[in-house]
Formats: sequence, C-alpha cells, structure tokens
Amino acid sequence: MSAPILHANNITMKFGGLVAVDQLNLKVFKNDLVGIIGPNGAGKTTVFNMITGIYTPSDGEIILEKRNINTERPYAISQLGISRTFQNIRLFKDLSVIDNIRLAGHQGLTYSAMSSIIRSKSFKTAEKKLTEEAIDLLKIFKLENKKDFLAKNLPYGEQRRLEIARALATGPQLLLLDEPAAGMNPNETNELSELIGWLRDYFKIAILLIEHDMGLVMNVCERIYVLDYGKLIAHGTPGEIQNNPKVIEAYLGTEVD
Amino acid sequence: MEYLAHLTLNCGIFIILAVSLNLINGMAGQFSLGHAGFWAIGAYTGAAFSVFSPLPIPDWMNLFIGCGIGGISASIAGILIGIPCLRLRGDYLAIATLGFSEIIRLLIVNMDVVGGPRGFTNIPKWANLGWVYLWVVITILFISNLMKGTHGRAIISIREDEIAAESIGINTFKYKLMAFVIGSGFAGVAGALFAYSQQFIHPNGFNFLWSVIILLMIILGGLGSITGAVIGAVILTLLPEVLRLMGETISQWRMVIYSLLLIMLMLWRPQGLFGKKELNLSALLGRKKS
Amino acid sequence: MSEDQLYFFYDLFQYLINGICQGSIYALIALGYTMVYGIIKLINFAHGEFYMIGAFTGYFCIRGGIPLYFAFPIAMLVPGIIAVLIEKIAYKPIRHAGRIPALITALGVSFFFQYFGQNVLGADPKAFPEVYEETIYNLGEAVSISSTQIIIIVTTLVLMLFLRWLVMSTKVGKAMRATSFNKDASELMGIDTDKIISFTFFIGASMAGAAGVLVGIYYNTVEPMMGLIPGLKAFIAAVLGGIGIIPGAVLGGLVLGVVENLVVGFWESTYRDAVSFGILILILLVKPTGILGTKTKEKV
Repeated sequence: MSAPILHANNITMKFGGLVAVDQLNLKVFKNDLVGIIGPNGAGKTTVFNMITGIYTPSDGEIILEKRNINTERPYAISQLGISRTFQNIRLFKDLSVIDNIRLAGHQGLTYSAMSSIIRSKSFKTAEKKLTEEAIDLLKIFKLENKKDFLAKNLPYGEQRRLEIARALATGPQLLLLDEPAAGMNPNETNELSELIGWLRDYFKIAILLIEHDMGLVMNVCERIYVLDYGKLIAHGTPGEIQNNPKVIEAYLGTEVD
Repeated sequence: MEYLAHLTLNCGIFIILAVSLNLINGMAGQFSLGHAGFWAIGAYTGAAFSVFSPLPIPDWMNLFIGCGIGGISASIAGILIGIPCLRLRGDYLAIATLGFSEIIRLLIVNMDVVGGPRGFTNIPKWANLGWVYLWVVITILFISNLMKGTHGRAIISIREDEIAAESIGINTFKYKLMAFVIGSGFAGVAGALFAYSQQFIHPNGFNFLWSVIILLMIILGGLGSITGAVIGAVILTLLPEVLRLMGETISQWRMVIYSLLLIMLMLWRPQGLFGKKELNLSALLGRKKS
Repeated sequence: MSEDQLYFFYDLFQYLINGICQGSIYALIALGYTMVYGIIKLINFAHGEFYMIGAFTGYFCIRGGIPLYFAFPIAMLVPGIIAVLIEKIAYKPIRHAGRIPALITALGVSFFFQYFGQNVLGADPKAFPEVYEETIYNLGEAVSISSTQIIIIVTTLVLMLFLRWLVMSTKVGKAMRATSFNKDASELMGIDTDKIISFTFFIGASMAGAAGVLVGIYYNTVEPMMGLIPGLKAFIAAVLGGIGIIPGAVLGGLVLGVVENLVVGFWESTYRDAVSFGILILILLVKPTGILGTKTKEKV
C-alpha cells in the first residue's frame, strides 16, 4: 500500500478535563472512501475539526502528505487540499447559489484588488472563466437552474448538495463529509449514496465521511473506523464491522442475561 | 443658497464616512465603534499639511495631496489598530476600537502644535461642493467595484459565516484587515475634506458620539448596503436641519430622538431601510442581470 | 531617608488612599456591569446611567429634606426599578438577536438617558447639598483622609460583602450563578430565568446608584452626563478584573482607581483617561478574560 495522503497519528483532544478524542490512529489513502461511525458524542466531528484546523490537537500529529498540519489555520488547510461540509450546513445563506460556488473559487483567482476596482480586462476574463466553471459544477449537481436563488431558499436536500458542490469547488484531494445524509428521506439517501461513489471516481478524490445512516455507510464505504467515547474500537471493511461484537455493544449495549 | 451648498457638502462628507464604515461593519461584519478616530486622523493630518507645508501649486492639487495624506495616515492607523483588534470577538472588538478612538482624541487634545483643546484654526478653504462630490463618487465606485470582485466576495463571506469562509480557503484575518484599512482610509479622506471645508476642527467634533451617529446612519440605511449607507447619511445630515426648522425646543431633543430611533430600529427593523440589498440601477432600467 | 524620599512616600500613600477611594466607586459600578454580562452576555452600555440616576435621586431626596439614611436606600431602589423596566422593554425582546444588536440597543438606551436628562434637568452641574460636616483625619505630616473617603470605602466594602453573601449563600444567588453558567439548563431545572435576570439588573443598578450618591457627596456636584465616563471606566475595570467574575470587578476597580491616581500624581492629569483606555486595550490583547479569568474555547 502506498503512503496515506492523510495520517492522523495518535491524536488526542482534551477540553479541560474532558477527553473528546483519545489516541486515535486514522489513515486515508488516495481515492479512498472511508467512513467514521459511532454513537453520538463519540468525538467524530471533533476529529474533523482537528483535521481542518479548527482545533489544535492536544497530542499527536496530523500529517498531510508528509507535512504536519497541527497548527495550521483552517484556510491554509483548505488551500492544502482538504475540504469539508458541516453537520449543520454552513452555506452562505444570504448569497446566491452561484456566489457560494464562486467564493470557493477564490484561491484560483490571481487578479489584484485594484484590478477589480478598475474593472480591468484581466479581471473581467478571470470572472467570466470563474462563472463558467461554477455553472459547470452546478450542472453536475443539477443546481444550475437555481443558480441565482438565495441559498437559504433552496429545499434542504439541495442545500446539502450545494454544500458538497462548494466544497468540491476548491479542487481538494480529500473531501470530508459531516453527516451528509442527515435529515434526508430514504430516496434522497439512496441518491446520495450513488452520488458519493460517483464523485470519488469523477473527481479522483479521497472521501472521509461521518454518518449515522448505516445503510449508506455499509453501501458506500470501503473501510470504516468506529469510535466510542473518543476511542477507536474497531476498524475494517463493512462486513468486518457489522459482525464486530464491540461495535454492536457500543450501539446496542450488552445483552441482558 | 450658501447654507444649502454647505449642507449638501456636509452630506457628501458623511456619505463618505457612512459608506466607509459600512465596508467594515456592514460588509465584513466587524463591529467597529472607532470610526471617528480615523476621521480625526485624516482631518488633523490634512489640516497640518495645509497649514504648515502647503505646496506652491494650485489649490485643487493641494486638495488632492491633502486628501491623500489624510487617507494614507488613517490607513496606517487602520493597520496598526486593526492587527491587534481584529483578532478579538464581536463585542470586544467594538470596545477595543472605541478605546483606540478615544486615545487618539485624547492625544490630539494634548498636542498644542495643532491647537490642542482650542482646536485647529485657519485651515485654507480648498474644498468645494464639486471636489467633495468627486470624492464621494470615487469612494462609492471604489467600494462597490471591490465588492463585485473576489476580494469583496471574500469580505462578505466573513460576515455571512466566518467558519465556512475559512473552510473554503479564505484567509479571514487578511480580508477583515483589508476592509478595515480601506474603510479607515476613506474616513481619513473625509476628514481632510472636512477640515478643508469647515476651516476649523476641534477634538470634540470627533468623539464617541460621532462614531455612534455614523453607526446610526448605516443601521438606518441597512447594514451591508451601500445604497443604504448613502441614504442613511443624507437623512441624518438633513434631519438636524429639519428639526431646527421645527423649532428650538424640538431641535434640542435631537439626540433623544436619535437614541430612540436607534432603539426602535433594533427592536422592530434591525435591517434598516435596505437590509443588505442595493438599488440595482440596471434592474431599474430594465436590463438583464448578468 | 532624605526629605525628598520621605515626601515621595507621603505622596504615594496619599495617592493610594485617593486611588482606593476612587477605585471603590469604580468597583461598585463595575459590579453591575459584570453581573449583567455574566448572566446574559450583554455589555450594558447604559449602566453608567443608573449611576447618574442614583446620584440625581439622592440629590432630589436630600434637597427635599429626606435624611441621608432614607435617601440612600431610595437612591439605590430607583435605578434598580428603572433597570428592570429597561431590561423588559429594550433588552429582553432582542435577547435572541446576538451580542451586537444588544450592544447597539444599550448604546441607544445610554444616550437616551444622557440627553433626556440634559433636556429635562439642564446640562449644568448642580450642587449636591451638604449632608454632614466633613472631618479630615491627618495621618502624619502630609497624608490625610476625609470622613467621606472613609464612608465610601466602608460602604463599598459592606455592599460587596452583602453581594458576596447574596450570590454564594442564598437560593437566589445560586439561581443567579446557575443561570449565568447555562441559561437553558437552568430553565430546565425549574429556575425562572427571566425573574433572575431582572433581579440581576436590579441589584447591579442599585449598586451603581449607591456609587452615584457617594460621588455626589464626595465631589459635591451632579450633572446628567456624569455617567458616561465613569460608566466606561467601570467597564474597563470589569474587563480588567475579568468580566462576569464578581471579585474581578472589585479587583479591577481598585487597580484602575489606584493607577489613575498614580498617573495624575506622578505624571500628568491630562493623560489619565488615555492611560485607562490604554489599560483596556492591553488587557483585551494580552488576556481578554481578565486578571481572574480563565481561557475558554469556543465549540463549533
């Protein structure tokens, strides 16, 4: 196996006396499709926050392609190729759908502020290209017809899709999805399952996702990490995880004799 | 007639102040209560230039140089103040900027070379209606064009959701600082223009009360709307005159009316007149939006 | 010790006395600021006005012939009641809207009282009637303390101890602490948080009112704008000590009062306010949670 693009090496997160993540070891390889599951409060989103720079690990290192990113600010980590979506959807609600995408294209634009102020040719060309690319991306997610809608006016399912589209607009190599199926009905969840697999193949990215919907996780993920109380209790293929007694215990509790 | 001209000129100065504060508070969502401090820096540096070392060139050229000096001085102050303060959260940022603004004013009071507590007199009248409104147009075009590009979008994204903005690679601190420095720079220009039209400036004219009045202008107009800032500035520059016409007693209650207006806006219409929207001229004229 | 050195210490001691006296005033006002911030995270800019209202209440009472020992509690009661009204009318409706709208509303309330007072009472300073014969106690050659200063320091001490007892040892105090720790959880525990918040405003404003009367006696004048600067200074004191922390308000007040007097005494009085604001900036940059504060992390 080649070297992982992301390696969380024995990472720990403490908030005062509370240990939210306890010596977790996690690897993501190129084009991987990995899931993180676990009961509520297991520390899954905390792991995402550590990877994306919102929290600095109390212990351990997070290595992105040989580079320690423990103390990097979130925007720098995004620029290094990690994108994410959020549990509670953090779209720019009062901006249009296409502006949400165009914002993510910010890094690729090289014209100066003065260029935009005097509306120079390089500014106009760059903006035109950005808009075209944004529309292309929206077409993939079937949102191009609503490109001028305010993000807050989209139905819930489309908002989630938009957030994923925005995350992909930065051209990441690793995409973190935090409970992408939350609040979706079975139909939408099925569509999402197909979309996730397809995204991985089309964009040639690695995907790490947190989910509670077991159907989606077992269907889509090639490997799964199981967390409970901040600790890793199991790691393996969907088949292995489903039959792992520790996992069952964490979710359902022990048998009453 | 001259009274009307003077009133319109003042409107222009406050439009520049309101639009520039709107960039910081409205677009970037960073709550600054210290705008009067930058206004003061621009006024005093511009005035100092005009009184101590005006150049032997036509007045209008001196005006532009003076405005440049005022604007750049205020921008430098913006960098020095912004770098420490913009790391602070919401209400703390407000208090810190208030603190700096008061310190600036107190330092000016203690500087006898620019008149200190007696004020700075004999400033040449370089500004007239035309030049002031040229600067108004420059300010509005500069900021609205900035907003239409990627830097402006980045600034707005900070207001909308700072965490989301960071997650898509936007260096929020850099853009907060950019908005802060540009905003303070234009406040400095307004200061120089103010000095060159009033010909007399005094530290009390740049106190905390004035920061609040400018804030009221953009809240009334709509935090985040350039159109709103313009309208808010015009309304609140004309309102005292209207009150004066209604009688001496009513005029005395001006600040009470302002404070009630502020409270009522926050309770019943916090988005002000325009919210975050702009008056879209091309939409008005029937042209298609791009 | 040479004569110069001796007088330096005399001066220092005098400044310390003055500073502790002034600091006590700041501490009393700061207590209200810090309690309100602790419970609803609001920087009540209008808090200085409660101090002004207390001063004027005392003024009118004493001019009306009411003796000090009645006027004083009345001067604490009136701003307290007004504070409760303000909270209900202006702050409660926007409680959900966030800290900045709340701050703006508080600004509005503050200016309302200042300018309303100016128009109704007249902007000129009014002479506070003499309530008792003041005695000056000489401590050695060049140091003195007046009876008023002693009264201020003692009153502040008494009120602070009362507050500490209230917050630490009573049921209401427990409810106050619970609500400031976690409002929603307290609601679920059966605490009427609205009442607790009103009560907090009441107590805070009455402390400020007490400070107002004391200042009226000490400086012999009251005027409608008198709340603005002490309000800001008290806020600086609260932040310095640790906003939301009651002992912090006291610590911050005393430190600020002493520093200010040292600046006036050993440096230049014109720089006094600039130094105070400088302290504010310094604390916000170095340790925003204040001297007694702890570092907290925000959850995403």
